[in-house]
Amino acid sequence: MVLEWIRFIIGTAVLLVGLATFALEVFGAFRFHFVLNRMHAAAMGDTLGIGISLIGLMIFSGWNFTSLKMFLVVLFLWFASPVSSHLIARLEAATDEELTKYCEVED
Amino acid sequence: MTALKNAYHILFLAALIFLALMLICCLIRAVRGPRIADRIVAVNMMGTMVMVMIAILALLLHEGYLVDICIIYAMISFLAVIVLTKVYMGVYRERHERGNKTGDNDPV
Amino acid sequence: MKNNRFARWFYGEDDTLIDKVEMKPQKERTPPERQVRRLMQEHERLHEHIYEDDNRKLWLFDKIYRIASVLFCLTFISILLVTVSWLPPSGSANNPGSNEVSARYIEKGLQETGAVNIVTGMILDYRAFDTFGESNVLYVATCAVLILLRLDHDEKRKPGDLTRSEAESNDRIYEPKNDMILQKVAGFLVPLIMIFGIYVILNGHLSPGGGFSGGAIIGAGLILYLNAFGFAKTERFFTEKTYKWVCFFALTFYCLAKSYSFFTGANHLESGIPLGTPGAILSSGLILPLNICVGLVVACTMYAFYALFRKGGF
Repeated sequence: MVLEWIRFIIGTAVLLVGLATFALEVFGAFRFHFVLNRMHAAAMGDTLGIGISLIGLMIFSGWNFTSLKMFLVVLFLWFASPVSSHLIARLEAATDEELTKYCEVED
Repeated sequence: MTALKNAYHILFLAALIFLALMLICCLIRAVRGPRIADRIVAVNMMGTMVMVMIAILALLLHEGYLVDICIIYAMISFLAVIVLTKVYMGVYRERHERGNKTGDNDPV
Repeated sequence: MKNNRFARWFYGEDDTLIDKVEMKPQKERTPPERQVRRLMQEHERLHEHIYEDDNRKLWLFDKIYRIASVLFCLTFISILLVTVSWLPPSGSANNPGSNEVSARYIEKGLQETGAVNIVTGMILDYRAFDTFGESNVLYVATCAVLILLRLDHDEKRKPGDLTRSEAESNDRIYEPKNDMILQKVAGFLVPLIMIFGIYVILNGHLSPGGGFSGGAIIGAGLILYLNAFGFAKTERFFTEKTYKWVCFFALTFYCLAKSYSFFTGANHLESGIPLGTPGAILSSGLILPLNICVGLVVACTMYAFYALFRKGGF
Protein backbone atom coordinates (compact mmCIF):
# COMPACT_ATOMS: atom_id res chain seq x y z
CA MET A 1 0.00 0.00 0.00
CA VAL A 2 2.78 2.37 0.94
CA LEU A 3 4.66 1.17 -2.12
CA GLU A 4 1.78 2.31 -4.33
CA TRP A 5 1.85 5.76 -2.80
CA ILE A 6 5.64 5.99 -3.23
CA ARG A 7 5.25 5.04 -6.87
CA PHE A 8 2.56 7.69 -7.24
CA ILE A 9 4.70 10.41 -5.70
CA ILE A 10 7.84 9.63 -7.68
CA GLY A 11 5.87 9.36 -10.92
CA THR A 12 4.08 12.63 -10.27
CA ALA A 13 7.36 14.41 -9.58
CA VAL A 14 8.93 13.20 -12.81
CA LEU A 15 5.80 13.95 -14.85
CA LEU A 16 5.61 17.47 -13.43
CA VAL A 17 9.26 18.10 -14.36
CA GLY A 18 8.39 16.98 -17.89
CA LEU A 19 5.38 19.29 -18.09
CA ALA A 20 7.49 22.18 -16.76
CA THR A 21 9.91 21.54 -19.63
CA PHE A 22 7.04 21.87 -22.06
CA ALA A 23 5.98 25.14 -20.43
CA LEU A 24 9.53 26.49 -20.73
CA GLU A 25 9.63 25.42 -24.35
CA VAL A 26 6.45 27.28 -25.27
CA PHE A 27 7.60 30.32 -23.32
CA GLY A 28 10.89 30.29 -25.17
CA ALA A 29 9.19 29.90 -28.51
CA PHE A 30 7.34 33.13 -27.88
CA ARG A 31 10.06 35.28 -26.39
CA PHE A 32 13.04 34.75 -28.64
CA HIS A 33 13.54 37.16 -31.45
CA PHE A 34 14.95 35.14 -34.30
CA VAL A 35 13.74 31.97 -35.97
CA LEU A 36 16.79 29.85 -35.27
CA ASN A 37 16.62 30.63 -31.55
CA ARG A 38 12.97 29.68 -31.46
CA MET A 39 13.80 26.44 -33.19
CA HIS A 40 16.43 25.75 -30.56
CA ALA A 41 13.79 26.16 -27.83
CA ALA A 42 11.36 23.91 -29.66
CA ALA A 43 13.93 21.15 -30.09
CA MET A 44 14.31 21.05 -26.32
CA GLY A 45 10.68 20.07 -25.92
CA ASP A 46 10.82 17.48 -28.66
CA THR A 47 13.53 15.43 -26.99
CA LEU A 48 13.92 16.29 -23.33
CA GLY A 49 10.29 17.15 -22.58
CA ILE A 50 8.77 14.06 -24.06
CA GLY A 51 11.59 11.86 -22.72
CA ILE A 52 11.07 12.87 -19.12
CA SER A 53 7.26 12.84 -19.40
CA LEU A 54 7.23 9.35 -20.83
CA ILE A 55 9.67 8.08 -18.19
CA GLY A 56 7.23 9.39 -15.57
CA LEU A 57 4.38 7.56 -17.32
CA MET A 58 6.49 4.41 -17.48
CA ILE A 59 6.87 4.57 -13.70
CA PHE A 60 3.07 4.77 -13.42
CA SER A 61 2.39 1.87 -15.68
CA GLY A 62 4.83 -0.62 -14.24
CA TRP A 63 6.80 -3.37 -15.88
CA ASN A 64 4.74 -4.40 -18.88
CA PHE A 65 4.42 -4.15 -22.63
CA THR A 66 2.99 -0.63 -22.56
CA SER A 67 6.19 0.66 -20.96
CA LEU A 68 8.24 -1.00 -23.68
CA LYS A 69 6.18 0.74 -26.33
CA MET A 70 6.64 4.09 -24.63
CA PHE A 71 10.37 3.45 -24.53
CA LEU A 72 10.26 2.77 -28.26
CA VAL A 73 8.50 6.10 -28.80
CA VAL A 74 11.28 7.88 -26.91
CA LEU A 75 13.95 6.04 -28.91
CA PHE A 76 12.33 6.91 -32.22
CA LEU A 77 11.96 10.56 -31.27
CA TRP A 78 15.55 10.83 -30.05
CA PHE A 79 16.71 9.65 -33.46
CA ALA A 80 14.27 11.55 -35.61
CA SER A 81 13.98 14.91 -33.87
CA PRO A 82 17.58 16.13 -34.36
CA VAL A 83 17.27 15.33 -38.07
CA SER A 84 14.09 17.47 -38.20
CA SER A 85 15.95 20.34 -36.54
CA HIS A 86 18.82 19.97 -39.00
CA LEU A 87 16.47 20.06 -41.98
CA ILE A 88 14.56 23.11 -40.73
CA ALA A 89 17.81 24.94 -39.98
CA ARG A 90 19.07 24.13 -43.47
CA LEU A 91 15.85 25.50 -44.94
CA GLU A 92 16.18 28.68 -42.91
CA ALA A 93 19.83 29.21 -43.73
CA ALA A 94 19.26 28.69 -47.44
CA THR A 95 16.20 30.87 -47.85
CA ASP A 96 16.89 33.75 -45.51
CA GLU A 97 18.07 36.87 -47.23
CA GLU A 98 19.21 38.69 -44.10
CA LEU A 99 20.99 35.86 -42.39
CA THR A 100 24.20 37.80 -41.72
CA LYS A 101 22.29 40.33 -39.66
CA TYR A 102 21.97 38.03 -36.67
CA CYS A 103 24.19 35.09 -37.39
CA GLU A 104 27.86 34.64 -38.15
CA VAL A 105 28.22 32.88 -41.46
CA GLU A 106 31.58 31.40 -42.32
CA ASP A 107 32.38 30.95 -45.99
CA MET B 1 -7.74 2.41 -2.54
CA THR B 2 -10.21 4.91 -3.89
CA ALA B 3 -8.09 7.77 -2.59
CA LEU B 4 -5.27 6.57 -4.82
CA LYS B 5 -7.60 6.19 -7.80
CA ASN B 6 -8.99 9.67 -7.29
CA ALA B 7 -5.46 11.03 -7.03
CA TYR B 8 -4.50 9.40 -10.33
CA HIS B 9 -7.65 10.70 -11.96
CA ILE B 10 -7.09 14.28 -10.82
CA LEU B 11 -3.41 14.23 -11.80
CA PHE B 12 -4.10 12.94 -15.31
CA LEU B 13 -6.94 15.40 -15.89
CA ALA B 14 -4.81 18.32 -14.73
CA ALA B 15 -1.95 17.25 -17.00
CA LEU B 16 -4.33 16.95 -19.98
CA ILE B 17 -5.82 20.40 -19.42
CA PHE B 18 -2.36 21.94 -19.04
CA LEU B 19 -1.15 20.34 -22.26
CA ALA B 20 -4.27 21.50 -24.08
CA LEU B 21 -3.51 25.10 -23.08
CA MET B 22 0.06 24.72 -24.33
CA LEU B 23 -1.35 23.39 -27.58
CA ILE B 24 -3.43 26.53 -28.12
CA CYS B 25 -0.34 28.68 -27.49
CA CYS B 26 1.57 26.72 -30.12
CA LEU B 27 -1.29 27.33 -32.53
CA ILE B 28 -0.94 31.07 -31.96
CA ARG B 29 2.74 30.76 -32.78
CA ALA B 30 1.92 28.88 -35.97
CA VAL B 31 -0.50 31.56 -37.14
CA ARG B 32 1.67 34.51 -36.18
CA GLY B 33 5.15 33.38 -37.16
CA PRO B 34 6.54 35.57 -39.88
CA ARG B 35 8.56 32.89 -41.64
CA ILE B 36 7.84 29.42 -42.93
CA ALA B 37 10.27 27.73 -40.53
CA ASP B 38 8.26 29.17 -37.61
CA ARG B 39 5.17 27.40 -38.77
CA ILE B 40 6.85 24.06 -39.39
CA VAL B 41 8.43 24.23 -35.93
CA ALA B 42 5.10 25.06 -34.30
CA VAL B 43 3.34 22.14 -35.99
CA ASN B 44 6.12 19.82 -34.81
CA MET B 45 5.70 21.08 -31.24
CA MET B 46 1.97 20.50 -31.42
CA GLY B 47 2.55 16.95 -32.58
CA THR B 48 4.85 16.23 -29.66
CA MET B 49 2.33 17.54 -27.13
CA VAL B 50 -0.43 15.47 -28.71
CA MET B 51 1.81 12.42 -28.31
CA VAL B 52 2.13 13.01 -24.56
CA MET B 53 -1.63 13.50 -24.33
CA ILE B 54 -2.28 10.17 -26.07
CA ALA B 55 0.12 8.39 -23.69
CA ILE B 56 -1.64 9.91 -20.67
CA LEU B 57 -5.00 8.81 -22.09
CA ALA B 58 -3.64 5.30 -22.56
CA LEU B 59 -3.00 5.14 -18.81
CA LEU B 60 -6.24 6.89 -17.87
CA LEU B 61 -8.44 4.43 -19.75
CA HIS B 62 -6.27 1.37 -18.98
CA GLU B 63 -5.98 0.53 -22.68
CA GLY B 64 -2.38 -0.29 -23.51
CA TYR B 65 -2.68 -0.33 -27.28
CA LEU B 66 -3.17 3.44 -27.62
CA VAL B 67 0.60 3.88 -27.35
CA ASP B 68 0.87 2.36 -30.86
CA ILE B 69 -0.78 5.52 -32.11
CA CYS B 70 2.02 7.57 -30.53
CA ILE B 71 4.65 5.79 -32.59
CA ILE B 72 2.66 6.25 -35.78
CA TYR B 73 2.13 9.93 -35.02
CA ALA B 74 5.86 10.49 -34.43
CA MET B 75 6.62 8.85 -37.78
CA ILE B 76 4.08 10.89 -39.68
CA SER B 77 5.16 14.23 -38.24
CA PHE B 78 8.82 13.42 -39.01
CA LEU B 79 7.89 12.56 -42.59
CA ALA B 80 5.89 15.78 -42.91
CA VAL B 81 8.88 17.90 -41.87
CA ILE B 82 11.15 16.16 -44.37
CA VAL B 83 8.80 16.58 -47.33
CA LEU B 84 7.86 20.19 -46.49
CA THR B 85 11.44 21.42 -46.18
CA LYS B 86 12.51 19.65 -49.35
CA VAL B 87 9.67 21.02 -51.45
CA TYR B 88 9.90 24.52 -50.09
CA MET B 89 13.63 24.77 -50.66
CA GLY B 90 13.10 23.66 -54.26
CA VAL B 91 10.40 26.29 -54.79
CA TYR B 92 12.54 29.05 -53.29
CA ARG B 93 15.59 28.20 -55.35
CA GLU B 94 13.56 27.93 -58.53
CA ARG B 95 12.04 31.36 -57.99
CA HIS B 96 15.49 32.74 -57.25
CA GLU B 97 16.96 31.33 -60.46
CA ARG B 98 14.07 32.61 -62.54
CA GLY B 99 14.33 35.98 -60.83
CA ASN B 100 18.03 36.15 -61.68
CA LYS B 101 17.38 35.23 -65.30
CA THR B 102 14.64 37.76 -65.97
CA GLY B 103 16.34 40.44 -63.95
CA ASP B 104 13.72 41.27 -61.35
CA ASN B 105 13.83 39.95 -57.81
CA ASP B 106 10.48 39.09 -56.35
CA PRO B 107 10.72 38.82 -52.58
CA VAL B 108 9.88 35.44 -51.16
CA MET C 1 2.22 5.39 -86.85
CA LYS C 2 2.50 3.16 -89.90
CA ASN C 3 4.56 4.19 -92.82
CA ASN C 4 2.52 2.85 -95.75
CA ARG C 5 0.95 4.86 -98.52
CA PHE C 6 -2.47 4.96 -96.94
CA ALA C 7 -1.14 6.42 -93.72
CA ARG C 8 0.85 9.01 -95.54
CA TRP C 9 -2.19 10.08 -97.56
CA PHE C 10 -4.43 10.02 -94.51
CA TYR C 11 -2.23 12.32 -92.51
CA GLY C 12 -1.66 14.71 -95.37
CA GLU C 13 2.02 14.20 -96.01
CA ASP C 14 1.60 12.74 -99.45
CA ASP C 15 -0.61 13.74 -102.33
CA THR C 16 -1.20 10.87 -104.74
CA LEU C 17 -2.50 12.96 -107.65
CA ILE C 18 0.48 15.26 -108.08
CA ASP C 19 2.31 14.79 -111.39
CA LYS C 20 -0.39 12.52 -112.70
CA VAL C 21 -3.19 14.96 -113.46
CA GLU C 22 -3.16 18.28 -115.30
CA MET C 23 -3.42 21.10 -112.80
CA LYS C 24 -2.46 24.70 -112.39
CA PRO C 25 1.03 25.29 -110.99
CA GLN C 26 0.83 24.95 -107.23
CA LYS C 27 2.23 27.52 -104.86
CA GLU C 28 3.06 27.03 -101.19
CA ARG C 29 0.11 27.07 -98.87
CA THR C 30 0.56 30.14 -96.74
CA PRO C 31 -2.43 31.57 -94.90
CA PRO C 32 -3.35 34.93 -96.37
CA GLU C 33 -2.06 38.05 -94.62
CA ARG C 34 -5.47 39.48 -94.02
CA GLN C 35 -6.75 36.42 -92.25
CA VAL C 36 -3.78 36.21 -89.89
CA ARG C 37 -4.08 39.86 -89.00
CA ARG C 38 -7.77 39.53 -88.33
CA LEU C 39 -7.21 36.56 -86.02
CA MET C 40 -4.61 38.44 -84.04
CA GLN C 41 -6.85 41.46 -83.65
CA GLU C 42 -9.68 39.24 -82.47
CA HIS C 43 -7.38 37.62 -79.93
CA GLU C 44 -6.27 40.99 -78.58
CA ARG C 45 -9.78 42.26 -78.33
CA LEU C 46 -10.88 39.22 -76.34
CA HIS C 47 -7.89 39.54 -74.05
CA GLU C 48 -8.70 43.16 -73.32
CA HIS C 49 -12.34 42.38 -72.77
CA ILE C 50 -11.62 39.64 -70.27
CA TYR C 51 -8.87 41.29 -68.32
CA GLU C 52 -9.96 44.90 -68.40
CA ASP C 53 -9.93 46.64 -65.11
CA ASP C 54 -13.17 48.56 -65.16
CA ASN C 55 -15.51 45.86 -66.36
CA ARG C 56 -18.63 46.49 -64.32
CA LYS C 57 -20.03 43.02 -64.72
CA LEU C 58 -16.87 41.33 -63.56
CA TRP C 59 -16.54 43.47 -60.43
CA LEU C 60 -20.18 42.90 -59.54
CA PHE C 61 -19.81 39.17 -60.04
CA ASP C 62 -16.76 39.11 -57.83
CA LYS C 63 -18.51 40.83 -54.95
CA ILE C 64 -21.69 38.78 -55.28
CA TYR C 65 -19.67 35.58 -55.50
CA ARG C 66 -17.92 36.13 -52.21
CA ILE C 67 -21.09 36.99 -50.31
CA ALA C 68 -23.08 34.20 -51.95
CA SER C 69 -20.46 31.58 -51.21
CA VAL C 70 -20.36 32.49 -47.52
CA LEU C 71 -24.17 32.47 -47.33
CA PHE C 72 -24.36 29.13 -49.10
CA CYS C 73 -21.85 27.56 -46.72
CA LEU C 74 -23.68 28.88 -43.67
CA THR C 75 -27.03 27.60 -44.96
CA PHE C 76 -25.61 24.20 -45.70
CA ILE C 77 -23.93 23.95 -42.30
CA SER C 78 -27.10 24.95 -40.47
CA ILE C 79 -29.20 22.42 -42.42
CA LEU C 80 -26.77 19.67 -41.51
CA LEU C 81 -26.64 20.70 -37.85
CA VAL C 82 -30.44 20.72 -37.61
CA THR C 83 -30.51 17.24 -39.15
CA VAL C 84 -27.94 16.01 -36.63
CA SER C 85 -29.97 17.35 -33.74
CA TRP C 86 -32.88 15.16 -34.84
CA LEU C 87 -30.82 11.97 -34.50
CA PRO C 88 -31.51 9.76 -31.48
CA PRO C 89 -29.00 10.04 -28.61
CA SER C 90 -26.20 7.60 -28.99
CA GLY C 91 -26.42 4.50 -26.84
CA SER C 92 -30.12 4.58 -26.00
CA ALA C 93 -31.94 1.29 -26.28
CA ASN C 94 -34.56 2.32 -28.86
CA ASN C 95 -32.03 3.17 -31.54
CA PRO C 96 -32.74 1.54 -34.88
CA GLY C 97 -29.10 0.51 -34.97
CA SER C 98 -29.16 -1.71 -31.90
CA ASN C 99 -31.12 -4.60 -33.26
CA GLU C 100 -30.46 -8.31 -33.28
CA VAL C 101 -27.63 -8.06 -35.83
CA SER C 102 -25.26 -6.17 -33.58
CA ALA C 103 -26.30 -8.31 -30.61
CA ARG C 104 -25.34 -11.43 -32.55
CA TYR C 105 -22.01 -9.93 -33.61
CA ILE C 106 -21.09 -8.98 -30.06
CA GLU C 107 -22.22 -12.17 -28.39
CA LYS C 108 -21.07 -14.74 -30.86
CA GLY C 109 -18.27 -12.81 -32.59
CA LEU C 110 -15.38 -14.30 -30.68
CA GLN C 111 -16.72 -17.82 -30.89
CA GLU C 112 -17.62 -17.82 -34.57
CA THR C 113 -14.69 -15.91 -36.02
CA GLY C 114 -11.99 -16.68 -33.48
CA ALA C 115 -10.74 -13.09 -33.43
CA VAL C 116 -10.30 -11.34 -30.09
CA ASN C 117 -10.71 -7.99 -31.87
CA ILE C 118 -14.38 -8.15 -32.80
CA VAL C 119 -14.11 -5.27 -35.26
CA THR C 120 -11.53 -7.09 -37.37
CA GLY C 121 -13.60 -10.24 -37.10
CA MET C 122 -16.54 -8.35 -38.45
CA ILE C 123 -14.88 -6.60 -41.36
CA LEU C 124 -12.88 -9.59 -42.49
CA ASP C 125 -15.19 -12.45 -41.72
CA TYR C 126 -18.83 -11.48 -41.51
CA ARG C 127 -18.60 -8.63 -44.05
CA ALA C 128 -15.53 -9.68 -45.95
CA PHE C 129 -17.09 -8.84 -49.30
CA ASP C 130 -17.45 -5.17 -48.36
CA THR C 131 -13.78 -4.97 -47.45
CA PHE C 132 -12.98 -6.51 -50.81
CA GLY C 133 -14.85 -3.63 -52.42
CA GLU C 134 -12.80 -1.17 -50.38
CA SER C 135 -9.49 -2.64 -51.48
CA ASN C 136 -10.67 -2.45 -55.06
CA VAL C 137 -11.54 1.20 -54.57
CA LEU C 138 -7.93 1.87 -53.59
CA TYR C 139 -6.70 0.14 -56.72
CA VAL C 140 -9.14 1.99 -58.99
CA ALA C 141 -8.13 5.31 -57.42
CA THR C 142 -4.50 4.65 -58.30
CA CYS C 143 -5.49 3.77 -61.85
CA ALA C 144 -7.42 7.04 -62.16
CA VAL C 145 -4.51 9.11 -60.87
CA LEU C 146 -2.18 7.23 -63.21
CA ILE C 147 -4.33 8.11 -66.21
CA LEU C 148 -4.38 11.77 -65.27
CA LEU C 149 -0.82 12.31 -64.21
CA ARG C 150 1.44 9.98 -66.13
CA LEU C 151 3.73 11.52 -68.70
CA ASP C 152 3.55 10.30 -72.29
CA HIS C 153 6.10 8.05 -73.84
CA ASP C 154 8.77 9.63 -75.98
CA GLU C 155 7.19 8.66 -79.31
CA LYS C 156 4.16 10.83 -78.72
CA ARG C 157 6.03 14.02 -77.94
CA LYS C 158 6.05 16.92 -80.28
CA PRO C 159 9.47 18.30 -81.23
CA GLY C 160 10.42 21.06 -78.88
CA ASP C 161 9.05 19.39 -75.78
CA LEU C 162 11.28 17.91 -73.15
CA THR C 163 12.06 14.21 -73.21
CA ARG C 164 10.37 12.06 -70.64
CA SER C 165 13.27 11.82 -68.20
CA GLU C 166 13.85 15.56 -68.40
CA ALA C 167 10.20 16.30 -67.78
CA GLU C 168 10.12 13.93 -64.85
CA SER C 169 12.98 15.64 -63.09
CA ASN C 170 11.97 19.14 -64.14
CA ASP C 171 10.05 19.78 -60.95
CA ARG C 172 12.83 18.62 -58.73
CA ILE C 173 15.94 20.15 -60.27
CA TYR C 174 16.35 22.76 -57.56
CA GLU C 175 15.58 20.57 -54.60
CA PRO C 176 18.32 19.51 -52.22
CA LYS C 177 19.38 15.93 -52.68
CA ASN C 178 21.50 13.38 -50.85
CA ASP C 179 21.61 14.86 -47.42
CA MET C 180 24.15 12.77 -45.52
CA ILE C 181 22.59 13.05 -42.07
CA LEU C 182 19.18 12.10 -43.37
CA GLN C 183 20.61 9.12 -45.23
CA LYS C 184 22.37 7.68 -42.22
CA VAL C 185 19.36 8.09 -39.95
CA ALA C 186 16.95 6.76 -42.57
CA GLY C 187 19.19 3.75 -43.02
CA PHE C 188 18.62 3.00 -39.36
CA LEU C 189 14.95 3.96 -39.06
CA VAL C 190 13.37 2.47 -42.19
CA PRO C 191 13.88 -1.18 -41.15
CA LEU C 192 12.38 -0.34 -37.75
CA ILE C 193 9.34 1.24 -39.39
CA MET C 194 8.87 -1.76 -41.68
CA ILE C 195 9.07 -4.17 -38.77
CA PHE C 196 6.54 -2.11 -36.85
CA GLY C 197 4.22 -2.06 -39.85
CA ILE C 198 4.45 -5.82 -40.22
CA TYR C 199 3.72 -6.17 -36.49
CA VAL C 200 0.57 -4.04 -36.82
CA ILE C 201 -0.64 -6.03 -39.86
CA LEU C 202 -0.08 -9.43 -38.29
CA ASN C 203 -1.76 -8.45 -35.04
CA GLY C 204 -4.98 -7.31 -36.67
CA HIS C 205 -7.13 -9.86 -34.95
CA LEU C 206 -5.59 -9.46 -31.50
CA SER C 207 -5.24 -5.73 -30.97
CA PRO C 208 -6.38 -2.67 -32.88
CA GLY C 209 -4.60 -2.36 -36.17
CA GLY C 210 -5.04 -4.65 -39.07
CA GLY C 211 -4.43 -4.32 -42.75
CA PHE C 212 -5.32 -0.69 -43.34
CA SER C 213 -3.22 0.97 -40.66
CA GLY C 214 -0.33 -1.43 -41.08
CA GLY C 215 -0.31 -0.80 -44.81
CA ALA C 216 -0.25 2.93 -44.21
CA ILE C 217 2.79 2.53 -41.95
CA ILE C 218 4.68 0.48 -44.53
CA GLY C 219 3.79 3.05 -47.18
CA ALA C 220 5.15 5.80 -44.93
CA GLY C 221 8.38 3.83 -44.52
CA LEU C 222 8.74 3.55 -48.29
CA ILE C 223 8.16 7.28 -48.70
CA LEU C 224 10.85 7.98 -46.09
CA TYR C 225 13.31 5.78 -47.98
CA LEU C 226 12.46 7.56 -51.20
CA ASN C 227 12.97 11.01 -49.71
CA ALA C 228 16.32 10.08 -48.23
CA PHE C 229 17.84 8.19 -51.14
CA GLY C 230 16.22 9.43 -54.32
CA PHE C 231 14.28 7.77 -57.09
CA ALA C 232 17.15 5.87 -58.69
CA LYS C 233 17.82 3.76 -55.65
CA THR C 234 14.17 3.14 -54.88
CA GLU C 235 13.45 1.90 -58.37
CA ARG C 236 15.96 -0.85 -57.86
CA PHE C 237 13.32 -2.73 -55.90
CA PHE C 238 10.01 -1.01 -56.49
CA THR C 239 9.08 -0.48 -60.11
CA GLU C 240 5.81 -0.41 -61.95
CA LYS C 241 6.03 -4.15 -62.48
CA THR C 242 6.33 -4.73 -58.73
CA TYR C 243 3.27 -2.63 -58.12
CA LYS C 244 1.25 -4.43 -60.75
CA TRP C 245 2.14 -7.94 -59.65
CA VAL C 246 1.76 -7.27 -55.92
CA CYS C 247 -1.67 -5.68 -56.33
CA PHE C 248 -2.77 -8.37 -58.75
CA PHE C 249 -1.83 -11.23 -56.47
CA ALA C 250 -3.26 -9.62 -53.35
CA LEU C 251 -6.60 -8.80 -54.94
CA THR C 252 -6.87 -12.15 -56.72
CA PHE C 253 -6.24 -14.03 -53.50
CA TYR C 254 -8.88 -12.00 -51.72
CA CYS C 255 -11.31 -12.54 -54.58
CA LEU C 256 -10.81 -16.31 -54.65
CA ALA C 257 -11.18 -16.47 -50.89
CA LYS C 258 -14.29 -14.44 -50.29
CA SER C 259 -16.22 -13.45 -53.39
CA TYR C 260 -18.56 -16.41 -53.16
CA SER C 261 -20.69 -14.41 -50.74
CA PHE C 262 -21.92 -12.35 -53.66
CA PHE C 263 -23.84 -15.40 -54.84
CA THR C 264 -24.64 -17.28 -51.67
CA GLY C 265 -25.69 -14.30 -49.58
CA ALA C 266 -25.48 -14.81 -45.87
CA ASN C 267 -24.82 -18.52 -45.97
CA HIS C 268 -21.22 -18.97 -45.02
CA LEU C 269 -19.16 -21.62 -46.71
CA GLU C 270 -16.90 -23.30 -44.22
CA SER C 271 -13.26 -22.80 -45.10
CA GLY C 272 -11.33 -25.80 -43.90
CA ILE C 273 -8.96 -23.76 -41.78
CA PRO C 274 -9.57 -24.43 -38.06
CA LEU C 275 -10.25 -21.48 -35.83
CA GLY C 276 -7.60 -22.20 -33.25
CA THR C 277 -7.38 -20.74 -29.78
CA PRO C 278 -8.37 -17.08 -29.58
CA GLY C 279 -5.40 -14.98 -28.57
CA ALA C 280 -2.80 -16.95 -30.48
CA ILE C 281 -1.45 -15.38 -33.60
CA LEU C 282 -2.26 -18.29 -35.90
CA SER C 283 -5.95 -18.30 -35.19
CA SER C 284 -9.23 -17.16 -36.69
CA GLY C 285 -9.08 -18.86 -40.03
CA LEU C 286 -8.61 -16.71 -43.08
CA ILE C 287 -8.34 -13.36 -41.29
CA LEU C 288 -4.53 -13.34 -41.16
CA PRO C 289 -3.94 -13.87 -44.92
CA LEU C 290 -6.66 -11.38 -45.78
CA ASN C 291 -5.06 -8.80 -43.51
CA ILE C 292 -1.78 -9.31 -45.31
CA CYS C 293 -3.45 -8.83 -48.71
CA VAL C 294 -5.17 -5.62 -47.65
CA GLY C 295 -1.97 -4.31 -46.10
CA LEU C 296 -0.01 -4.89 -49.29
CA VAL C 297 -2.58 -3.08 -51.42
CA VAL C 298 -2.69 -0.09 -49.09
CA ALA C 299 1.12 0.19 -48.89
CA CYS C 300 1.48 0.08 -52.68
CA THR C 301 -1.29 2.65 -53.09
CA MET C 302 0.30 5.14 -50.70
CA TYR C 303 3.70 4.88 -52.33
CA ALA C 304 2.13 5.08 -55.80
CA PHE C 305 0.27 8.29 -55.00
CA TYR C 306 3.39 9.94 -53.67
CA ALA C 307 5.55 8.88 -56.61
CA LEU C 308 2.91 9.91 -59.15
CA PHE C 309 2.53 13.36 -57.68
CA ARG C 310 6.26 13.92 -57.45
CA LYS C 311 7.49 12.35 -60.62
CA GLY C 312 4.59 11.59 -62.92
CA GLY C 313 5.39 7.91 -63.09
CA PHE C 314 6.83 5.07 -61.11
